[in-house]
Formats: sequence, C-alpha cells, structure tokens
Amino acid sequence: MILALAILVLAFLLNLLLPWWSIAIPGLIFGYVFNKKGRASFGWGFLALFLLWGGQAFYIHIANDGVLSSRIAEMLNAGSPFAVILVTAVVGGLVSGLAALTGSLANSSPRLSSRGK
Amino acid sequence: MNYVKAAISGILLLTIIIALNLKLGPLPPVGKFVDPDGGFWANAETTSPGSGELNLPGLEGDVTVYFDERRVPHIFAENDHDLYMAQGYVVARDRLFQMEMQTYDAAGRLAEIIGPALLERDQQTRRWGMPYGAEKAMEEIRKDPEMYAVISAYAKGVNAYINQLSPADYPLEYKVLDIAPEEWKPIKTTLLLKNMTRTLAAGNAEEATSNSIAFFGSDFIEKYFETKPELNDPIIPPSRTWDFEADLPEAPDSLYVSASAEELPAFEMPEGIGSNNWVVDGSKTASGYPILANDPHLHLTLPSIWYEVQLHAPGVNAYGVSLQGVPSVIIGFNEEVAWGVTNVSADVLDWYEVKFKDDTKQEYRHGGQWKPTTTRIEEIKVRGGATVLDSVVYTHHGPVTEVSSSTGDEKDPVYHALRWIAHDGSNELKTFYGLNRARSYDNYVDALKHYIAPAQNFVFASNEGDIALWVNGLFPKKWKYQGRTVSDGTDPKYDWKGWIPRDHVPHIKNPERGFVSSANQESAAPDYPYYLDDDFAPFERGRRINDLLREMENITTADIQKMQMDDYSYYAATLLPGLLEWIQKEELSEAEKEVLNVVQNWNYHMKADQLAPSVFRNWASNFYRSVFEDEFERTEARLRWPPRDRFVEVITEESEMSFVDNVNTAETESRRHLATTSFKETLQEMTDAYGSFGDDWKWGIVINNDIDHLARIPGFGRQDLYSSGNYDAVNATRGKNGPSWRMVVELGPEVKGYGVYPGGASGNPGSPNYDSMVDAWRTGELFELNFYRQAPDTFLYKMKLQPSDSE
Repeated sequence: MILALAILVLAFLLNLLLPWWSIAIPGLIFGYVFNKKGRASFGWGFLALFLLWGGQAFYIHIANDGVLSSRIAEMLNAGSPFAVILVTAVVGGLVSGLAALTGSLANSSPRLSSRGK
Repeated sequence: MNYVKAAISGILLLTIIIALNLKLGPLPPVGKFVDPDGGFWANAETTSPGSGELNLPGLEGDVTVYFDERRVPHIFAENDHDLYMAQGYVVARDRLFQMEMQTYDAAGRLAEIIGPALLERDQQTRRWGMPYGAEKAMEEIRKDPEMYAVISAYAKGVNAYINQLSPADYPLEYKVLDIAPEEWKPIKTTLLLKNMTRTLAAGNAEEATSNSIAFFGSDFIEKYFETKPELNDPIIPPSRTWDFEADLPEAPDSLYVSASAEELPAFEMPEGIGSNNWVVDGSKTASGYPILANDPHLHLTLPSIWYEVQLHAPGVNAYGVSLQGVPSVIIGFNEEVAWGVTNVSADVLDWYEVKFKDDTKQEYRHGGQWKPTTTRIEEIKVRGGATVLDSVVYTHHGPVTEVSSSTGDEKDPVYHALRWIAHDGSNELKTFYGLNRARSYDNYVDALKHYIAPAQNFVFASNEGDIALWVNGLFPKKWKYQGRTVSDGTDPKYDWKGWIPRDHVPHIKNPERGFVSSANQESAAPDYPYYLDDDFAPFERGRRINDLLREMENITTADIQKMQMDDYSYYAATLLPGLLEWIQKEELSEAEKEVLNVVQNWNYHMKADQLAPSVFRNWASNFYRSVFEDEFERTEARLRWPPRDRFVEVITEESEMSFVDNVNTAETESRRHLATTSFKETLQEMTDAYGSFGDDWKWGIVINNDIDHLARIPGFGRQDLYSSGNYDAVNATRGKNGPSWRMVVELGPEVKGYGVYPGGASGNPGSPNYDSMVDAWRTGELFELNFYRQAPDTFLYKMKLQPSDSE
C-alpha cells in the first residue's frame, strides 16, 4: 500500500517534468527499496500508475465534457471514451508494475517477511 | 538466480518502453500518446481561456488582441509590422497544424512527415512546378519591400509562437503523427497561395478534348461545348458593349493532333468547387446602401479553410476571413467598402507535346530550332525510407511530364510540358493588402491590378454607393479555343503571346439593372472579343441568382441571407418535366407509381425533409449515364462528358438525339425507354441502399454531407450533416463540398456584417469551439459580426502582447 502510494506521488512529480517513460523510475527505486515479493511488487506498481494515469485521464475527460476522449475513441476505434481511459490506465500500470518488479528482483538482500508493511 | 530474473524483467521493461515510444504503422506511439501530462490528454480544453499578458520578442509596440464570444480575434496594433506579426502569432496559436500541413502539401513534402504513401502526390506536386512557382513568386515579393516586410513580420509572429512550444503543447495532430513543427519561412505564404491556384485554376481537359475530337468528331465538341444553353446568363450582362479592338494572336492553319489515348495527369475539378457572390445597389435596398453577399464553395474540412479576424492599426480597419499562412483579410469589409470573390475558370493551364532531340532530353524542338532544356533536381525526403531524387526537365513552356500510354502499346514515350499561370511570378498579397485599406472604387481597381492567379470575380461595394465586378486575373491572349486540346510544343503559334490588356478584362461598374453577380458561369456574352475558356459552370446558379435579384426590391440583409440558402434546382426544373413526360407509366408497378407521384408533385426545391429530391438526383444521373455510357465505354481513352445544362437542352429539343440509342443492343432505344428503365433502376438502387421508400430516403440523409478532418483523421470530422441544397442550387451544399464561408455585408455609416463558416476559430479537436458553428452553418444561421471602430469594452478575454524588452 505504502509502496503504491510512494510510486504514485513520485511518478506524478517526475511526469510533470520529464518524458512519459519517467514513470518507470519510481517503480525501480521503490521496488528495490521495499523489496517485496515479485507478484506484490508488480501489483502495487501497476496499481499506482493505473490509478494515477487513469485518474488524471478520467478527470480530464469530465472537465472537457468528453469532447476529446470521444474523438480519440473514434480515431482508435475503441468504442467508448471509457475504453480510452482504461487503455491509458493500463499502459501506465504495465510500465510501472514491470519497473517495480525489476526493482525488487534487483535487490539480492534477504527478504524479511516483516519488511515493507 | 535473482539476477537472471532481474535481467529478464529489466529487458522486458525496456522493450515495452521502447515499443510504446515508437510510431507503429498508423498508430501514434502509444505510451507517449496516452501520457496525461504530455500526450493527447494535454490537448483537452478543460477551462475557458482567460486574459493574459505575453512578451513577444520583435514587437515594436504594444498589441492587444480581444477575443469575442465566438473567439474571433480582434487585433489592435500601433503599426503594420506589429499588426501582421500579431496576426501570424494568433493564427498559429489556433491553426498551426493546418498552416503547416497545407504548405507541406504545396511544397510536395508530405512524404517527409507521413511516409512513402504520399510520395506519388509529392512527385506530382513537384512535376507540376509548385515549389518552382512559389520561388518565382517569392522573387517578385522581394522586389516589393512593403509586402516583403508584411510577410516577414507575419513569419516572425508564427515563429514566436512555435518557439515557445514544448512537446506537450504541440497541437494534437502533431502527437498523432509524431512530428514537430518547423520554422515558418516567408516562402510558405507564397506556397499557400500557389496551393489556392492549384485548387482553383488547375482544371484542364486537354487530353479528353483531343480524344473526343478524334473519337466523336468536331461536331460533338461544337454541339455540346461550344453551343451554350439558351438560359445562359453571363456574369457581365450582355448589354455591356466593348469599345476596343482585340489584337488576337494568329491561329495555326490546322489543329495539332496529339499522340492520342495517352493519359495526362488530369485534374478534374469536383462539382461543388465554385462560389456565389452578388451586390445590390442602394436603389434596390431598404437602407439605400449597397448589400454585398459572398459564399465561396470549396472542399469542406475541419478545421475550416477560413479564419475570422479583425485587423486594426493606423490606416487599416478590416474584418473578414483569412487563409492560414497569408497575412491580411481575404474576403471581408472595412469601414468604407466590402469585397468578395468567386472563381473564374479561365483556361490558364495548357499541355504541350514536346519533341526531344534524343534520350538525354537536353534539347527540344521549337520554331524550327533545337533549344536547350534546363533541369531541376527535386529532393523528396521520405519518412521511414530513402530520399528520392527526381530530375524535372523544363522547356520554356514549363516542367515536362512523361505520359504513360493507356493503351499499353510498346511506343516511344510521349512528353508533355506544362504551361501554367502558377509558374509566373506574382504578388497577390498586394491586392489583399490594398483591399483591406481601400476607401473607394478607384482604390479597389488599383488593388486588383496586382492580382494574377487564381483569377477571381471580385465583387465590390462602397459607402459612396458604387457597386462593381471585375473578372480579375492575368489572362493569356489566345486564339479561339487555344489550349483546349493538347498543343504542339514545337510550333510557336501555340505559345502564349502576351496578356489580355488590363482595360480589356471583363468588368462592370454600377450597371443599370442595379446589381452585379457571379456564380462561376461564363464571364461575358459571346461578343466579348477574347477567348477565356469553353468550359464554365452550368448556368443554373448564376441564372437563379439573377432571376431572384431582378424581382427583389427594398432588400434587407435578412432577404439576402435567405437567398444564400435558396435550394431551387434549375437542373430539376429543366429536366424533370421531360422525364415525367417520357416515362411509360403503364410499365410501372404500384409501388413505383407511388414514388413517381411524389416526384410529380415536387416544386424543384432540394429540401432536406423531402423525398423527391433524392429520387430526382439519382434518376437524373442514371438517365444521363444510360444516354452516354454505351458510347463512352467503347474506348479506353478519356473523353469529355457533356455539361448537364446543355445535355438537358439537347435531349429536350431532339427526340432523335443520337446518343439515346444503346449501341450494344439490336433494337433502337428511345427517351421513353431510357426514362423508364433508369427510373426502375434508381428505385432498386435506393431500396438496396436506404430500405423501402420512406423517411430514410429524405434528401437530408441521401445528400451525404460530411466534413472530414483536414488530414482525414477519423473522429476529428463531422459526419452525416442533415442539410438542404445541392451543387446546382444557390446553397451549393453537397457531399463534402459547399459554402465554406457565408457573408452578408450592408454598407452605410455603420457597416454591418453577418457571417458563418462550418467550423470554429480553434483548430484544436479537443476544444468545444472546434466545430461550434457547424450546426448554425447547416441551418443557414448567420452571426452578426463584431466590427469594432475602437477597442471594445466587452469581450470574452484579451491577450496583451508586448515587446520583450519592455518593463
């Protein structure tokens, strides 16, 4: 939970300043630091960016009355603006999840069952 | 163990990031594109624009831009330089992608940003000498320091905008295509103007005419193209007399016969590219002042080709629409005068068959001598491919194209050189600059002098009560019908020999009838001594406008607005009575009779809510095809199809018209037979397409009116706009073409303007403003234009632009 939150906050800040792929950096760092099991690292990492990008996209969709998301949905043949928001969330989640997984795997120190709670 | 896993996971991560950062096929780079901060989401407009201040390096003084409720910019500057720099800045802010896309197209550089699919179009653009023509125009503008300053200031403004963009700020289309804006050079303005010449003055039917003469004989040409319909009503009224002798060049003794059945890269102008304009003088209006109307018909796109703007600085206060990439107002009005344009389809493009001495193409035959050619290397960059080098050979006529044989025989290659008005140096900007500042008829005539192409019917009205129309442009002096067939490139008699003198160009001022008008029809009556073309628009729209104007009195702007939406079809009014007379009712089923009954009770108005217009249009086109298709299909060669207005006249008058008989059958067909079978065929086709006869056959649906995005990106256009009209009606809405800007201006102490275009000021598909006027346009509503004499007190928001070194 804290892992996801940490990734989310740092990814939000980095994304403001750096290109989109900077969202992988928090996963790598915190995945390593928190050193959770592979599956958990991926899950929290995925969730963080799924919520961040999905949330941002959803907010923009509402504030823009869906003008743009409907056009993009038609362009991508995605069917509905919500599919476009979902794609945005999943793309972010996938990159961040993989980054967190990579980070955790790179940490060779013994994993204590109590760490990272 | 963990290291291996970590390495696999890391490589997977890297691969995914790289893949999501790459443009794969038509898809934008997915990761980059969906990024909420830098991708397409960043282009969604989430707040209303607010006022602000901005430093613009290079400005000489302060500029304030007021945006009204439709977001039309009203630019108030202290001098010309700042005015045009601010115009460049503001237009780029709303329409950057459009500006760049249109000039990439005009320069033959689309493959560079899109890819190999556009290479062929680029090659044709280069072989037609588009960049060559733009360079010549640029040379001309450099000789005119005033205009050079104007386009340079404009370019400075565009670049000031581009330079402050970060990739996250790029307009949406840049993100879709994964490209970046480039520096805006002044030559792009001339490229854009050449693009208009290509759109409006590149029509040609040389090959088809040559073939038609070979195939059907010159009687065919005389009957269908040289003979004009009785109802023809030229732009300059026939009452106008010409008090000059025309000094015409000598024609060759016999007409050159070209290597027939060869294919030229023909450019057929789609129906619907045309326009209307008219002016009524004070004797016919309620206010006693002239009223001017204009609706140029073009291929409709989003964003619209036009952009409304008011330009205010010492010596100028003009309002109207501009073309993206060109400083000044193109169609509009100022405090004293108003002007508008329609296209003149004069023949300013000719093909010459060239004889080279040998395969090196270094010398060609002309006037009994071998003359040297020049070669221009065109370098076409291709996105995702190797750069293509194309050598284009030029004779004194112009660039040479190799013509492929449509018959597939092993023959010597045939070469055609293109003589085209777009290759002549020109400075059209000076005309618009002058019109923006014109205060009288004399100023208008002065401004028009500088205009070369694409030739336009410029209508004019002034507060002094003058109305006028000049068929304006540079026209080659030709012998009759010169250049309508493929010309002999070796014989100087086919060369263009000078120009129609300025005073001899068709024009009229304050005619007795109290109005001037044009709708792309023939420029002047047959007694006009110069040859312009044999192929003008059918009489339909022009005659309808004149019919209405002749009867109207006490005219108000509301009457003129209504007239712009007039949907009376002369084609229906002239052809349908015949079709109804010829059709064999006894051969129709009950269901078919029911449809016929609806058509019989129709008043020839192309109304969206009616079913009859749909049936008529399809019936008429099937009938026309059944008359000519059997003969035209007998050859592979491209032939010229008779214009529909003359066709109607001939088939109505001649029951034994030779084309009626189907040459593929033993029996002799009659009009009765063709009218009946084409009617049945039409109902079958329409049932297949729209279901059984009923509401789905309404013209508003069948008209199939779409406005696509400029680069045809799906989802960025507006489809199936339910509307009235047709290309033979004053409201020439049809398919993807139609009135691209409707404007009505009433002159007077307080000039009043009304207008609409199908689009919005913003070119951003993520803004609600992007297509905000489409529905008003569709239903014929016009907005009252906010024309300010001084800086307004109320506005949506304002933008203050300051020189960067000010405090």
